[in-house]
Amino acid sequence: MEDVTTKTRAKAQADTSLCKGCRLCVGACPKDAIIPLTEMNKKGYEIIRIEEDKCIGCGQCYTICPDYVFSIE
Amino acid sequence: MAATMKKPKMINQQVGWCPGCGHGIIQRLIAECCEELDLAERTIQVVDIACAYWSIDTLNCDGIAGPHGRCAAVATGIKKVYPDSNVYVHAGDGCSYVIGLAETCYAAQRNVPITMIVVNNGIFGMTGGQMCPATTLVGDKTVSSKKGRDSHVAGEPFDMLNIIKNYDIAYAARGALYDPKHINATKKMLKKGFENQRDKKGFSIIEILSPCPTNWKMSPVDAMEKIKNENEKVYPIKVYVDNGGEANG
Repeated sequence: MEDVTTKTRAKAQADTSLCKGCRLCVGACPKDAIIPLTEMNKKGYEIIRIEEDKCIGCGQCYTICPDYVFSIE
Repeated sequence: MAATMKKPKMINQQVGWCPGCGHGIIQRLIAECCEELDLAERTIQVVDIACAYWSIDTLNCDGIAGPHGRCAAVATGIKKVYPDSNVYVHAGDGCSYVIGLAETCYAAQRNVPITMIVVNNGIFGMTGGQMCPATTLVGDKTVSSKKGRDSHVAGEPFDMLNIIKNYDIAYAARGALYDPKHINATKKMLKKGFENQRDKKGFSIIEILSPCPTNWKMSPVDAMEKIKNENEKVYPIKVYVDNGGEANG
């Protein structure tokens, strides 16, 4: 029987190559799990990083992102 | 089973809008509604020759950009020829409320069963940030009102849905995008608009308060705060009409 406690919860995944550095997700995250970085992607926008331990997979970042960076799976 | 949220399949390219622009969120909401209602295959988008034009390349459905501002008239024509198609207009406030005011009003007056999505960002975005006579708030600085909009010179902004609600239409509502809660509420409004069209109930118009950080010269986060604190007071977020008019396709 599958152990429920070890079953992985849905987490946010970020494709930062699409990110445009608007930072809307940083304010929308209820767990402060999205960290703004000064690192840039190929387009020259400052990207973000998700702290997986804090993420609860609520989908607020997916909802507010205008550039479809996030997926919850 | 864990919940999954993924970009809709209708969106097959990267978006071209500026960072923090609300058009990207609106495009995703449209695609989600079309897929959830199983209308994606027979959707025809009518976009304006302005910022909304980007979605003609990004969305994997038929689309047309008619003359600037005449989106409602073009959509009316498509709906008359293909009554079973799902025709929606994605246009800005300049298109729908300024240059295309007559087209918008007469689409409402005829109660054509189309879904009209008006992006109210309070400025002429694509042309470089000029004052929009219909929606720029008093005091807002733009490239054509350098000292802020003066109501003695340019008049007051007006709530177009207050005018359109007097026609015999199926649905008129206003949503906003400044936080996930309001984005989800806006999605429900859009879905209602598409359902009205599917059920041939009549004209649906959904206005969405959206930020334009580039031309407002603000950070995307500050632009969302401005909508919450200033724009929402002039343009209340509510449903104006929800009565289901007569079919007229």
